[in-house]
Amino acid sequence: MRPRLIWVLALLLLVPSRARGEESEDARLRARLKPETAGAVIEIVHAAGAQGLPTAPLVARALEGASRQASDSAIVEVVRRHAGGLAAARRALGPSARPAELDAAAGALMAGVPEDSLASLKKARPAGSLVIPLIVLSDFVARGVPVTSASNTVLAATRAGAPDPALLRMRERIHERILRGEAPTGASKEGLRELLMKTGPTEERGRRGPHEKGR
Amino acid sequence: MTPRDAWDDEVREAYQRPLAGETEARERAIARLRGEDARRAARSAEWWLDPNALTMRPLVAAACMLVALAIGAFGGARWMASRRPVTAPPAPIAVEGGDRTTVTFVFRAPGATRVCVAGDFNGWDPDATPLTRVATGDTWTARVPLENGLHTYAFVIDGREWTPDPSAPLAPVAAFGRRNSVLVVGEDHVL
Repeated sequence: MRPRLIWVLALLLLVPSRARGEESEDARLRARLKPETAGAVIEIVHAAGAQGLPTAPLVARALEGASRQASDSAIVEVVRRHAGGLAAARRALGPSARPAELDAAAGALMAGVPEDSLASLKKARPAGSLVIPLIVLSDFVARGVPVTSASNTVLAATRAGAPDPALLRMRERIHERILRGEAPTGASKEGLRELLMKTGPTEERGRRGPHEKGR
Repeated sequence: MTPRDAWDDEVREAYQRPLAGETEARERAIARLRGEDARRAARSAEWWLDPNALTMRPLVAAACMLVALAIGAFGGARWMASRRPVTAPPAPIAVEGGDRTTVTFVFRAPGATRVCVAGDFNGWDPDATPLTRVATGDTWTARVPLENGLHTYAFVIDGREWTPDPSAPLAPVAAFGRRNSVLVVGEDHVL
């Protein structure tokens, strides 16, 4: 009995972690969704996983839909759109993009940011993480800044070598201006102007990694 | 017609017959009431101007003045606060530890009886992660250990109202009607 148990445990450890992760995701989806909806979502999730795309954001979207009592068709549609966004994000950012970057980029693309803007952002910061610039860009769009203005603002700030904390401060300032009643486009221009006055478009700073200490 | 009917008619007629001088008496009563109202109004106006209308012990007067000053100061402070420039509330606070980061969510919800946070970190379960009310009343907080990475979340007020975090960046798309908030942990900082 005991040797058999050891063999079973050894086999369990040998099962690829990804397969176990998929099983866990499938089980979570089946537990929260109707069987046919779960089946449709799992199909999309597996297809995305086969392409090497992150699947956790897709499962999260489906579970969110279930909690918000969305219709079955809406849940499947949102998951399908998000999977399409992740695929487009990888096209724009390249195969080395991390899951968090792909997820943030997928959101930006679904909000109407064009793929070439993401590619420009990648060129502006080839080595560092793009998660924060993408989150800031998406936040601007969500707060009513036109997509072109939002893209130009974040791109100009990133090209100027603004580190992530500076981008976050710029987001807060622009948010405050919009709360005070300023037009989103004007607020984003002023926010960028303030950031550039402090950061300065120095090439040296632009070449430094975004997470370098001592900023 | 029976004698009883005749008697009934007689009583009814007597009841309906106006009394002598009734009309004059009614007019006199109305005139008297009008005069009473005018005298009362005059007395009321005189009271406000009469220096001896109100008498009060010095201690009671001082207490009244203190209460009035306190009310004035409180109202003034509220008015000043309303004129303060609008600023976004602070973003969630985080303490990093390995590949997980403990994030403190803070949310103001006046009048709420229960506030929870739902996000991809708890399977979007609207009851899984309740916030605790801070002693001051309107503010709710929760400390949640999160895996490093990108997270989306929303607050759920009284189990029915989903609302984004006013301090955090918004998710770009309102997939199910209302936007979520976005949180990044483990990138040298928390967003």
